[in-house]
Amino acid sequence: MNRALVNIIFSNLSRVLGWLALVLLIVLIGAIVIKGAGAVNLEFLTMGSSNFGAGGGILYQIIGSIIMITVAGLLCLPLALGTAIAQTAFIKRKSIQNGISMLVFGLNSVPSIIFGIFGLIFFVNILNTGISWMVGSFILAIMMIPTVVVTAFQSMDSIPTIYRESALSLGMTRWQMVRHVLIPQGFSGALTGLLVALARAVGETAPIMFIATAFSGVTIPTSVNEPVATLPTHILILAQNAVDPVALQSAWGASLVLMVLVLTFSVSGLFARLSLRKVSQR
Amino acid sequence: MSLLKVHSQQESASAEESIIDVKNFKVFFKDLQVLKSINLSFPQNSITCIIGPSGGGKSTLLRSLNRINDEVEGFSCEGELILENENVYDKNYKPEELRAKVGMVFQRPCVFPKSIAENVLFGLSFQKKLSRKERAVIVEESLRAVGLWSETSHRLKSSATSLSIGQQQRLCIARTIAVKPKVLLLDEPTSSLDPVSAQAIEKLVMELKKEYTIIFVTHNIQQANRIADNIVFLCDGKVIEAGPKSQMFEKPSNEKTRSYLNSEFCDC
Repeated sequence: MNRALVNIIFSNLSRVLGWLALVLLIVLIGAIVIKGAGAVNLEFLTMGSSNFGAGGGILYQIIGSIIMITVAGLLCLPLALGTAIAQTAFIKRKSIQNGISMLVFGLNSVPSIIFGIFGLIFFVNILNTGISWMVGSFILAIMMIPTVVVTAFQSMDSIPTIYRESALSLGMTRWQMVRHVLIPQGFSGALTGLLVALARAVGETAPIMFIATAFSGVTIPTSVNEPVATLPTHILILAQNAVDPVALQSAWGASLVLMVLVLTFSVSGLFARLSLRKVSQR
Repeated sequence: MSLLKVHSQQESASAEESIIDVKNFKVFFKDLQVLKSINLSFPQNSITCIIGPSGGGKSTLLRSLNRINDEVEGFSCEGELILENENVYDKNYKPEELRAKVGMVFQRPCVFPKSIAENVLFGLSFQKKLSRKERAVIVEESLRAVGLWSETSHRLKSSATSLSIGQQQRLCIARTIAVKPKVLLLDEPTSSLDPVSAQAIEKLVMELKKEYTIIFVTHNIQQANRIADNIVFLCDGKVIEAGPKSQMFEKPSNEKTRSYLNSEFCDC
């Protein structure tokens, strides 16, 4: 075939596929916005739910989701940053470095329901914690670790060797070098990863539905071993009652709120990444 | 293996004292032996140029002198490296203490994304607490020593990356001497610079030998001829010949040295 023709075919094909993906995204988001917008109003956002979620608002679901992922993020960040630092600065053997990477990627590919079952068996049954939002935070933190480790590791690993060697050649100890050369760069990378991971974690249903959440009758938790209500589990239950039009309307509304929450994390992740690029190019 | 002895009449008495003695020193990267039983002495307050074909082990030897090779995976060594009567490869010898005494400047200038003044103080401020006044004094002294003071005194707070490459390399030297090391290692410091900046560095190095012992790796024989007091010719991981510059250029005892210095050709 004529190479000019091949060129025309493939450039148009990729254009069509690109548009197709965009249209799918717009239809999906559009549907949620249109269906959800009717449900969302000030009352919906500031009231607790009533009538088993079919009526009232989703205030406690929003608060529950935010508490759980905030604590998950706080638990995840030091663990992941520590792993990434160890991997870049303290472990010299390539084979061990690669082993850690393999474990991290392995953790990332574990289906989320497995995390839920693990949480149920390990925390709720063996450690006898009961159903608690803290356990949910633990499990979400573990799920977030891979994303954060990988982004933090990559941003620290991309610092040219000469910067580390220059710092060490000035008589800095290894920790001082890590503290003042690697962490400033790695931290913004870890933060980007954290925001991306949070965006995913806030929408997770499977890992938390057995171990951390209750459907009705919960408000703001007063201790660590209480269940909370969250947006994704709320949507799940409402969707199961899809015969009730009010419950369904409420589910669309909750979906819209959840999507806005996810979008907030993703967009701040994007901005963090852009500002990170500026730093590394200086 | 030839020990480096100083015969030149121009050398002062103090220059004959060596500051670093390398004894039977071998370096391996994994199974590959890069340096083969090196024996050398580096005289104090003088410039020793290490020359030789690329891949001959010049940088490896230099980078072993402040143990920065420890950072490279698979590095191991045998033999002794004596600085002030202590073997720096001794288990209890802390590499950060060694590196405060033996500073290093690399081939490509590497400034940190901070201000000019912060760059000068970057190493030193981690070793001891400094008052604001001490900081100002050290910044000025160090920048004056590398001839950057007049160019930068009015903008010490602006980013070091706004300097030209040649100025950045001088800033790297300023940062290294702010720590007050005894020895300065320079690994082809002019090879990424324009001729004018390279010349400035050469002049600076000649000045600095009054206070520091300088070990300078270069692949440029003319440069070695311009600045060196002593020359070490390294090829294939071995010291082929070492001695004062005049002797090396005028009457080398090894045919290989003559051939390399005259035609940059080496068949070792």
